[in-house]
Amino acid sequence: MSGAPMLEIDNLTRRFQGLVAVDAVTSHVNAHELVGLIGPNGAGKTTLFNLISGFIAPTEGDIRFEGRSLVGMRPHRIARLGIGRTFQNLRILPNMTVFDNVSIGALGNVGHSAWQALIPGRRMGSRQISESTRDALDQVHLSAQAGELAANLSYGRRKYLEIARALATSPKLLILDEPAAGLNDTETAGLAEFIRGLVRRGLTVLLVEHDMSLVMSICDRVIVLASGAKIADADPATVQRDPAVLDSYLGTTD
Amino acid sequence: MSAATAPERSTRPVLPPPVTKGLLAFVVLVAVPATMSAIGGGYLYGIATTALIFIILAASLNLVTGTAGLLSLGHAGFYGIGAYVAAILSTRMGLSFAITLPAAGVVAGAIGVVVALPTMRLVSIYFAVATLGIGQMIYVTLLNWTDFTRGPMGIRGIPPIEILGWQPHSPMQQYMVVALTAMASLWILSRLTHSYFGNALRAVREDDQCASAMGLNVVQLKIVAFGTSCFFAGIAGALLAHTANFISPDQFQFGESINILAMVVVGGLGSLPGAVIGALLLVILPEALRGVGDFRMIAVGSVMFLSILLLPKGLLGEASALGLLRRQFGEAWSGGLGPRVGWR
Repeated sequence: MSGAPMLEIDNLTRRFQGLVAVDAVTSHVNAHELVGLIGPNGAGKTTLFNLISGFIAPTEGDIRFEGRSLVGMRPHRIARLGIGRTFQNLRILPNMTVFDNVSIGALGNVGHSAWQALIPGRRMGSRQISESTRDALDQVHLSAQAGELAANLSYGRRKYLEIARALATSPKLLILDEPAAGLNDTETAGLAEFIRGLVRRGLTVLLVEHDMSLVMSICDRVIVLASGAKIADADPATVQRDPAVLDSYLGTTD
Repeated sequence: MSAATAPERSTRPVLPPPVTKGLLAFVVLVAVPATMSAIGGGYLYGIATTALIFIILAASLNLVTGTAGLLSLGHAGFYGIGAYVAAILSTRMGLSFAITLPAAGVVAGAIGVVVALPTMRLVSIYFAVATLGIGQMIYVTLLNWTDFTRGPMGIRGIPPIEILGWQPHSPMQQYMVVALTAMASLWILSRLTHSYFGNALRAVREDDQCASAMGLNVVQLKIVAFGTSCFFAGIAGALLAHTANFISPDQFQFGESINILAMVVVGGLGSLPGAVIGALLLVILPEALRGVGDFRMIAVGSVMFLSILLLPKGLLGEASALGLLRRQFGEAWSGGLGPRVGWR
């Protein structure tokens, strides 16, 4: 399944006034791979995500996507290169409809201009935006709720709304920040199957997750962070036996 | 685009949009002039013209504050720039309304873009403070640059509307020119609001970091929205200059910016019909209450206060004004994800 590294993280460090949030992490994500990123609270998982998507700049090191360095690039440029993301604390746009929420992803990818809005008959820009929005909504089975205000969706469905919006950007790499947080076991199982399906259809996924069982059951490879540093990077079975991981994250079994 | 592929809208309008538009055009272009000609009121035409000018101001501020969620406290400044550009071009260079109107819009829009370039990276409430300062700077410039603007004396004797040699002879004809300009402005603003471009602006209002993670160039969107908004404020200024024939700096003070903002808030953030209704309400109400003297201002203030208290989203809005403010203050405090407070 795997090809050349799609995302390369090279000696990446980020300090916040003395606190080393991400400490010289080197890793990679191959194309068509499903990689899990785990670690205890405060391990630097979300900081790593924000570094990749350009919300914060690294103190040292480099991030390359398909061979291009992302350092110093603004978030919207990174998104247009093909990195779609969701947020840990759901960031849906509550006063907009489900359709309009997802169309934002398509808009970012296809482009948007004020002039397009003024051309008679083409006010909605290209048909491309409507189509990729519909397609993303179909994938998460939210088409029936397209006209609802996003604020009226249930918590579980909002999770899928975020994923649909990221999918509408036509990403090559999808990074999911704790998608299973707050979901019950049945919903988590459904989500696991959904993410697996995305990878089967050729997407590359980087998944930050608290839910160990989810990560261990679906990921091809697991990266473990503790206090900002990488302590393991292997397949799930190996990681589960790794003494360093057991010590710092899973806790010693008694 | 066929009906089958027509996209879903952000807000569910009270009336279907074509009905709203037809109704508005009928009222503004037929019903109002007919009624006024019947009762023969030159004074009433004056109020109607003022109402139309404020409709343009409120609708243009709505694009930036209502749809894009950028609290702008300097709109009257750009209105003033438009008025002074039109006044100076027509009194000193003898240019006609057909040239001064677009020129006023372009100059106000261009100054808006120049102002926006350094301020658009400011987060939320810091941006509001910057626009407040810019509005004051424009006012003080109009007041003190006496060689150019005649300072506090204002500019009088501005020639009336004239298009390619044709001059409106009656108040009704003058009203119609203003009404057609207002309708054209509303049409453009409506296209911008109800489009994917408008959706992009809404995303910036709801969560600008999320919008940028989806690939939207947030800074560019804000600059385009702000420039467009200032363009229409300039148009409104030119209409004022040529219909009132006299302008002075005190018409473009901070209080006027707040007045325009109140129209947007009462009507509802993000709603174009709301901005129109808000403008009508806050222009006509003080006139209607002229009989009770200065108490009318208390009445107008109460309407604004009660509407914020009882209707969090205004009459027809898609977002709550207090919610927006609360979020923006919160953001200013926490500084978002970046290390620098108030700056992104």
